[in-house]
Amino acid sequence: MPARSSDRLELLQGTLDMLILKTLLFGPMHGHGIGTSIRQTTGESLVVDHGSLYPALHRLQRDGFITSKWEKAPGKNRELKYYRLTAAGRRQLTRAESRWNDLVHAIGRVMNPLPEG
Amino acid sequence: MLRRLLARIWRRGSPSDDEIAQELQDHLDLETEALGALRQATPSDARFAAKRRFGNVAAAREAVREVWHWAWFDELTQDLRHGVRALVRNPGYSIAVVVTLAMGIGAAAATYSLSHAIHNPFPRLPQHKLLWITQTSAACAPDCTEVSPAGFAALRMRAPSMTPIGVFSWSTLLREPSGSVSLRGFRVTPTAFQVIEAPFAVGRGFPNDAGQQGGAKLVVLSYDFWVRQFGARASVVDSIITLGGDPYRVTGVLDKDVAFPMVADVYAPFMPRVSEASIHDSRNYSVFARLTPGGTMATAAAETRAIGAQLIRESPTTDSGWVLRARPMADFHTDDVSIIETICAVAALLVFVAGCMSAANLGLSRLAARQHELALRTALGVGRWRLVRHLLTEALLLSIVASALGAALAHWGVHAMRDAIPASFAAFLPGWARLDLDLGAMTFTLGMAVLAVAAFAVLPALRATHTDLKSALSDGGRASTGAVRSTRSRAMLIVLEVSTALVLLTGATLLTRSVRNMITGNAGVRIDHTLVMELTMPSGISDSAMIDFYQHVDANLNSAPSIRAAGIATSTPLSNSFAGAVFQIPGRSPAPKGHALSAIDQHVTPRYAEASGFHIVSGRMIGQQDVRGGLHAVVINEMMAEAFWPGESAIGRIVNIDTTSWTVVGVSSNVHHGGLDEPMRYTMYRSIFQVPLQNSVIAVSTSGDPAMMRDSVRRIVARTDPSAALGEMMTMEDMQARHVSPFAMMADMLGVLAVVTITIAVVGLYGLIAYGVAQRTRELGVRVALGARPRDILTHVVWGAVRLTIVALVVGLLGAALFARLLVALLYRVTAGDPGTYIAVSAGLLTVALIAALIPSIRAARVDPMVALRGS
Repeated sequence: MPARSSDRLELLQGTLDMLILKTLLFGPMHGHGIGTSIRQTTGESLVVDHGSLYPALHRLQRDGFITSKWEKAPGKNRELKYYRLTAAGRRQLTRAESRWNDLVHAIGRVMNPLPEG
Repeated sequence: MLRRLLARIWRRGSPSDDEIAQELQDHLDLETEALGALRQATPSDARFAAKRRFGNVAAAREAVREVWHWAWFDELTQDLRHGVRALVRNPGYSIAVVVTLAMGIGAAAATYSLSHAIHNPFPRLPQHKLLWITQTSAACAPDCTEVSPAGFAALRMRAPSMTPIGVFSWSTLLREPSGSVSLRGFRVTPTAFQVIEAPFAVGRGFPNDAGQQGGAKLVVLSYDFWVRQFGARASVVDSIITLGGDPYRVTGVLDKDVAFPMVADVYAPFMPRVSEASIHDSRNYSVFARLTPGGTMATAAAETRAIGAQLIRESPTTDSGWVLRARPMADFHTDDVSIIETICAVAALLVFVAGCMSAANLGLSRLAARQHELALRTALGVGRWRLVRHLLTEALLLSIVASALGAALAHWGVHAMRDAIPASFAAFLPGWARLDLDLGAMTFTLGMAVLAVAAFAVLPALRATHTDLKSALSDGGRASTGAVRSTRSRAMLIVLEVSTALVLLTGATLLTRSVRNMITGNAGVRIDHTLVMELTMPSGISDSAMIDFYQHVDANLNSAPSIRAAGIATSTPLSNSFAGAVFQIPGRSPAPKGHALSAIDQHVTPRYAEASGFHIVSGRMIGQQDVRGGLHAVVINEMMAEAFWPGESAIGRIVNIDTTSWTVVGVSSNVHHGGLDEPMRYTMYRSIFQVPLQNSVIAVSTSGDPAMMRDSVRRIVARTDPSAALGEMMTMEDMQARHVSPFAMMADMLGVLAVVTITIAVVGLYGLIAYGVAQRTRELGVRVALGARPRDILTHVVWGAVRLTIVALVVGLLGAALFARLLVALLYRVTAGDPGTYIAVSAGLLTVALIAALIPSIRAARVDPMVALRGS
């Protein structure tokens, strides 16, 4: 989708993991659902590259932050692979969130310095 | 189960390729649906759009797969690197584990290789299908195993699940320009080689009708004899060779390392005569059999039992009390050594277990020391599985190194054992010469070792990673419950190690004392400066020619320089091979059937007593005057004289042998013809000039080194008659060594194993005490600060070690008493319950344990309260 690349935001390194964890905080979801959810939540401004979504999911699973299970999808007559947050994943999300907030805060201070006093 | 566990540890549910592909396909399907609903596009357009959006599916699949691939590979190399680093950082621990484990592995693998080689000495034969049929009675067990001709005939006719083979031993000689060589051989039923599927190097076995009375004489050669005598020339097949004066046609040569039932030089066929089938009372067939295709060990055993019962019904007077049995072929090879084998197996198992226990003990001690590190790493977010995996990797690394070293030790041990036994003894154990490290045994032992170490590493590791973080971190892991528990497990392991050491040390001491008694014990003959050898005369030679030869050779030997005395007899003292003769004493009621009196039957020349080194107690020795036509003179040994004429003179009494009356002219001192550990037997000496023999032995007493006399004796015999063959020459020292060496080897082996186990145990004990002292530095410091004297501290710590050792000694003494019961059959003039041995061994171990405990105790006594208390 190169035509629209100018109004699309590039994801910072490592933020995709955080977004996935955050999305899963609201309940188990399959890969396509996670991608769709991120896109819709950000009002289409963040489009997750499907090619990197799945490696990220598997990496998170490997590191024990999420688990996966083939489950029957509601309203569909088929099984899909659902991802679910683990306790370690919740802790990881908290850490990532606070790091992210620190980062946003620090960058914000550089970009919009508050007047002294 | 195990594979799943390992997969779990190493890869944690890595998805299959299909699963990944399915997941991506699902994604495309969902995307297609979504796009289709959104834009109302045709399905094919929607699918195309979905694919375009996704990008390269194959690349994504590859990327996903790589996540997993690199994960486990990375972690494995990381674990390995971490493991190697951790082990190198603690060389003392690593070396101790590797060495103790390697010793255990080495001992076990070597012993099981030995046992395997002895059980199946001819691996090219279908041993598991071969049987050994024995006929025994309680009266003569375990010496008699041979079957009557009637029994053999019945087996051939009435046992459908097996094909029996009859075997006789056959000794003959080969005429050579330089003198004759005596050969060991067997006569076998003609189909024997087909039945056992013996491979041939060249030629073939016998035709089915060979071995008839008056038929062509045929012979099969052994591989070694073929190489030695005929330079492995294939042209020897169908050629004629002369054995014992008769021409034999060679039909074939058995292949390398094939022999049946034992190692031999030559085999000739024999066909049992039909008339033999009714002979019940002489038992002279060695019988073997091979299972027929439908037959099993169980059916063969049942048939054999039934035939045994039939034989008793057919001829109750001769056969009642005799049992016919079918046994596995391995029994034939191990019959004489099964006790030795059992002891070896038990000892090796003990060392192996001690090695594993020691590895576990060391592992526990290290784990206790690392409690702090492990707790810290858990706190830093390292997963529990990951930690267990680290420990497992370390354990596996150690066991792999230990296995390599153990294999080297086993290899060395097996070859040392092979070379430790004199050739004359090894000849009775055909597997011995080819003894080598058995791959099966080695693999099994290595597997066990790796499993044991892994188990000992993982189980405590699982527990260790459970320890309460806060307590482990807050007090430096010093007094956490985990440490206390592991100290208790370690104490238990040490108790077991020390008691194992005690068991082995007791066994070794008992055996060593027994061997010393055997060497210093009195065999009744002279051991030094005596040379003995076998002598064989050609078959078909007349009695008078033989007597003539014996008279000449006796005279020639006795007139040779540096020979003090030479004599000829039927068998050699301590050789354990002797002929027996049945006798009766007139005036005593004849013994019941099957319990006839028998004595060792020696046919001797007059100077045999002098040559052999025993003496005449009363009367005279067989003399030159005792020839045919003279008095039938017999000399009996003291034991026989005392048994039949206690308190009176035996001289002039009559002994009936066969149908002839023999007059006792002298009583000789007792001589051991078997080993010293076997009971003394009645012995009778008669003149070889009256009852000549085809096979005899020469004994020569020399003034110089007996080994130097071999050639001159050989020359004298060849000069007297070149057709007489001399067999193997041995000094009596060799003969004694041959008898004692298996016992001596056992004693040495147990001794080495005992020292190994003691070392293992003492290192463990030292480690435990030292660890305890290190753990309690603060407590000891407080005690010192509160006024405890160094001596009190010392006693306190040492007493802990002594208490442990005493528990171990009690357990060990029970074990040793059990183990000694296995040894009873091997012990000579030492009882299995010999209190001196048990006390000495216990005291020795206690002393060693005390020394091991004293070193760390002294360190404890010197604890400086200031340093100790500041340490926390």
